[in-house]
Amino acid sequence: MAKSFKSLLGDDIKNTRTLLHEAIPITGTISSGTYADNNIKTFSHGMFESVYDYPYLSSSANHIFDLSYGITAQASSSAVTQVAKKRNIYNQMAQVLFGYDSNGKIRSFDSDGTLDDDAGRMDHCFFLNFSRLLCKDEIKKNSFRLGLFQSGSTAAPDTLVTLGDYDAGNEFRTSPAGDYGLIFSSSGDSSDNSKSVGLLFYQAGVAVISSSVFQSPWSPPGTKTTPIHVAAGLAATLTSSIAAAQKSLTITQLADGFRHRLYDLDFNNTIELNSTIYFCRVNHNEFNYSANPTYATASKLVVKNQATDLPITYITTIGLYSPDNELMAVAKLSEPIRKDPNTELTLRVRLDY
Amino acid sequence: MAFLDNSGDIILDAVLTDTGRLRMAQGDGSFKITKFALGDDEINYGLYNKNHASGSAYYDLEVLQIPVLEAFTNNTSNLKSKLVTMSRTNVLYMPILKINAHNVTTAIGAGKPQPKPSAYFRRRTAEGVTATNGFPEGSNAEDKTNIDKFYVAVDIDTYRGLSYYRAPKNTEGAGAAEHLVQSDVVGAEPTTGVMEGFQGSNFGGMIRVDQGLDTTEISIAQGLDSDLRESAYIVELDYRLGRLKSPSANTIKAVNFIDDDNIASYFVSQTPYFSTTPEETNSETSPDVYNNFNSTNPQVFGNKKGSGPRGTSLHFRIEASAELRQSTYLFQQVGQVQDLTTTYGASGIAGLPGAIDTTWDGSSGLIAGDKFLFNLTEKKLYYIDTTVRVIGANTGYRIDIPIRYVKLA
Repeated sequence: MAKSFKSLLGDDIKNTRTLLHEAIPITGTISSGTYADNNIKTFSHGMFESVYDYPYLSSSANHIFDLSYGITAQASSSAVTQVAKKRNIYNQMAQVLFGYDSNGKIRSFDSDGTLDDDAGRMDHCFFLNFSRLLCKDEIKKNSFRLGLFQSGSTAAPDTLVTLGDYDAGNEFRTSPAGDYGLIFSSSGDSSDNSKSVGLLFYQAGVAVISSSVFQSPWSPPGTKTTPIHVAAGLAATLTSSIAAAQKSLTITQLADGFRHRLYDLDFNNTIELNSTIYFCRVNHNEFNYSANPTYATASKLVVKNQATDLPITYITTIGLYSPDNELMAVAKLSEPIRKDPNTELTLRVRLDY
Repeated sequence: MAFLDNSGDIILDAVLTDTGRLRMAQGDGSFKITKFALGDDEINYGLYNKNHASGSAYYDLEVLQIPVLEAFTNNTSNLKSKLVTMSRTNVLYMPILKINAHNVTTAIGAGKPQPKPSAYFRRRTAEGVTATNGFPEGSNAEDKTNIDKFYVAVDIDTYRGLSYYRAPKNTEGAGAAEHLVQSDVVGAEPTTGVMEGFQGSNFGGMIRVDQGLDTTEISIAQGLDSDLRESAYIVELDYRLGRLKSPSANTIKAVNFIDDDNIASYFVSQTPYFSTTPEETNSETSPDVYNNFNSTNPQVFGNKKGSGPRGTSLHFRIEASAELRQSTYLFQQVGQVQDLTTTYGASGIAGLPGAIDTTWDGSSGLIAGDKFLFNLTEKKLYYIDTTVRVIGANTGYRIDIPIRYVKLA
């Protein structure tokens, strides 16, 4: 009996799990100049701003990360602009990423990862929320590097430092939002947790950077003569410290200052691929004829002169079928493969989920 | 779809089809892969040169250079031709499927007319027209204009209109009314080439597909090897437009599966759809029957002088969907429309072959009782061209049958 299908046996189907990593390089100019801020989307509520890789009004633009800023309830609220919104942002991020203590209160971010004391509590934080497009399933540990200018004006930044989750491959912690690692200013600092300047939540794709990483002088975008985001009557000078800026500037202004000090950003993401591999075993006595209309002329096979010649076919496609003969998946070979009774093949089709 | 890069190692480009994704989304366990098939859609075996002067190494040089397209996600666009497993290697002839579109004059059975073996829709002209396509001359001569489509009239008025058109006034017998009467009177011969695509119908033509070796090099008496015979067929059609209907009863066949593109699949392996009749006529004691074009099993393989062995056959009719029967919406969406008022009398009208008879108008009536209930000149002609695919379940051989759904409204 002629037949077109061959059943897959138990040994022909194998499930595997593979971790794929992609390198994500983001140059600082994307966030601070290439597109003249047309790729920066701000909102009337002023609680965060979004960075795109292209002017966001274009359908080609991809959202790459959000920037925001928050403070704890313990931080001084005296003369702080947008104090409620800054606290709301902090609490929202903290409750999602750090959870609650035994009294049901929201935990504050703690830079040294020790939650049972106040040491290392981060009262003023910048938040970088990376889009899922970049993070995929998670950020690969010990791959995060963030080049920041610690001081100077946005026009003349100074003191480049490379923050990173150094040594996080060996030491990381867990939170309600998954694993997190400590961010240090250099690999040498990674042995001393008290020198941590932030936290990186791998599965959530959020970096929490303490504002203390910045040094004086510190200013928002613009110069003393051409301030961009500084409200009327508010001086934006090189002598302004980060502490002063945190009080006087809005979340949007602080986010602008941050992204104009971003030199570069690199990390590897992780994609969990669950695969099913189908081994399509083609024995020597199988699939040697074709139902292709060109295979026969006047019903006579065009690849044969006489009955004793070997039949020949050429494989270009593999179809995977359900029990009721519906095509579930299809695989194409990059070039035809000759099949005749003298050859056997195993075609390995992998479906990723 | 682009071509795959074939400059380096052989790679596999695998995707889930739309049906596969649909079943995964359903989450009911229907996404299950249990078998595989191999295809060679891109291959043109005509490029295989078994007489190449440089030797056998060059026979398939051009075949192996054929670029391969990326995988389609549409499940019905892939694996149109499958590779076939047969344990023996000495097969030199392989059967094909062929529409048996020979018009047969012999009435099948007594009483109410049964659908005749399938025939393409053509306009019948005066007697004595030279035969074409192997049809005998005489009263059943066909017009030379080949439409090569099966017509499905979606309602009785359309069926009558097409019947009248097919046998225009004063061309045969007692006059214009005759063929109209014959087409829907119990006991009379139905109009061929037009299927009654509405409910409650026993008239009209059907579609018949035969399997066999299309060669004169093997005698029909030799028969078709058992491992080459089809034991079942798969019929695929657009479920928005039609349903598979019994060739001899007003029975709609239950559909086996409808995919996300509304393509319905029917698995057919039993009577009245499936028949082994052609092979049963392979009697060496009555060799003439092999070439009898007027028998109930007209031969389509080989030619008049020699006929190839035959396998099984498939018979079916098409019933139009309720949407087509009761509305012109789909006709306007995926079909075409022709205003007969403006084209009446023109030499050619889209949807109907040849010129229409301008001497008749519906108001005068054709026969007593005014069975032809409308004035053709006041109607619009709607039609949709589509195909019905028939696949041999064993060999995987497939053919596409052209269908035209027609509605006068």
